[in-house]
Amino acid sequence: MMLIAGTVPIKGLPLTLAEAKFEGGFLSLNHCKIPCTQGTGATISAALTTTKYLKLDPPQVLVGGDTGRGEGKGSRSIYEHLIRKLPELSPDVLALHYILPDMALMRKVCESVERCSEKPVMIADAGSMYAAKAAGLASEFDVFTPDFCELGFLADPNAVHPAYINRHLFDTNVNQAPELVSTAYQLKNAAKLLLVKGAIDYVAKEGEILERLTEPDIPALEAIGGTGDTITGLVSAFVYGGLELHEAAIIAAKSNRMAGKLARATPATKVWQIIAQFPAVFEKYLSEWV
Amino acid sequence: MASLKQEKASSLGGLVLFTTVEQAIQAEKVLRQAGYAAKLVAPPPQLRKGCDLAVEINLVEQTGIERLFKQKDVDYTEIAPLKGGEELLDIVKVTDFGEAIMVKAGNMKVTFDKDTGIILNASGGGCPDIPYLHAELVGRKLTEAPGPKEIGFTLCATMMDRAFLECLQLWDDLR
Repeated sequence: MMLIAGTVPIKGLPLTLAEAKFEGGFLSLNHCKIPCTQGTGATISAALTTTKYLKLDPPQVLVGGDTGRGEGKGSRSIYEHLIRKLPELSPDVLALHYILPDMALMRKVCESVERCSEKPVMIADAGSMYAAKAAGLASEFDVFTPDFCELGFLADPNAVHPAYINRHLFDTNVNQAPELVSTAYQLKNAAKLLLVKGAIDYVAKEGEILERLTEPDIPALEAIGGTGDTITGLVSAFVYGGLELHEAAIIAAKSNRMAGKLARATPATKVWQIIAQFPAVFEKYLSEWV
Repeated sequence: MASLKQEKASSLGGLVLFTTVEQAIQAEKVLRQAGYAAKLVAPPPQLRKGCDLAVEINLVEQTGIERLFKQKDVDYTEIAPLKGGEELLDIVKVTDFGEAIMVKAGNMKVTFDKDTGIILNASGGGCPDIPYLHAELVGRKLTEAPGPKEIGFTLCATMMDRAFLECLQLWDDLR
């Protein structure tokens, strides 16, 4: 089973564990409509589209409504559920996404993972990746999917959030990503595999750059909210489908770029328009890429 | 009080610093009442600027906490990260796509249409208020949209606010 956990921007949405479905063009969890927009919604939609194409079980999804307020009920309830129930759920793949970073709770989640019958493949992006890095838990994870600024955060020995990274790391040219990757690994701030998203996508494993992807070059993708989230969903689904981590990461990055091309992406394109292209991308290229 | 001071700052990443002990105690009470995780601790020597009592917070929630303190008239000296740089990243990067401009501030991005000033995208980061801000901002004119810092709660919202303010300036220059 693949489990995706993250918050969605719906005030008052209670903690919900359900199978993801598309109903009437919407993402649906227990008949509750989830917007397919930037954030966890885009990640789930990308993963669901991929599992559907690959004829795999759809992702199980653990979401809570959270708009970032101090009560942080959505994030907290997700953490607490994972801490209590992960050994029982024992997913094969666990993808953690937009959750208010909390180092202490993330530590407890990792402790709970240790009690699973088999350790799941652990993938983190967004706030979950921030919490994992800040708590010194990065090496517990199999895949991180940072963008270039977030790579600077992983390469900063002290920052607990990308907003506080050393400014020279933000000023670094994207071509210097391999140096930052190397630093992140030396500091033990990286997961086993990094997929760095950007104008150039880098796939790195244990400090070594395995792949550098630049084509098709679709600059507008960076301006479209959610196109990083889709990559996390794609990687999760491909890993769940049995690909090695690096294969899943490379194909995820290629799929995203190609979907941007097919969608004729502009800065005004919405992420659901990119996701809608994934089946056509898979149909045309997947057998060639795998 | 002595026992409180024994508690070392540990895991949440940020400290609120104060001039007096009374301010620290009031702040902790206000934070707890609002549902924030907060703990009275002894600040490390390098961050000690007034009294020897501070409140440990989740630094990520800095934006919402600053706004709460303002609403509740809580005096404090500053909010500082326990580790790393003391200053928020203050530089922005601008990309001109021809029909649209994207501004990046740290890990946050705001994109607007150059003809209409309509926000096409607001994204990035990893805190739960970002998908909320995305929903609230996208499709609205820059001049009519709420500032991310006004309705957001986290450091990601503060960085998005920096990008948003730069967009407003660029939009003003274009007109």
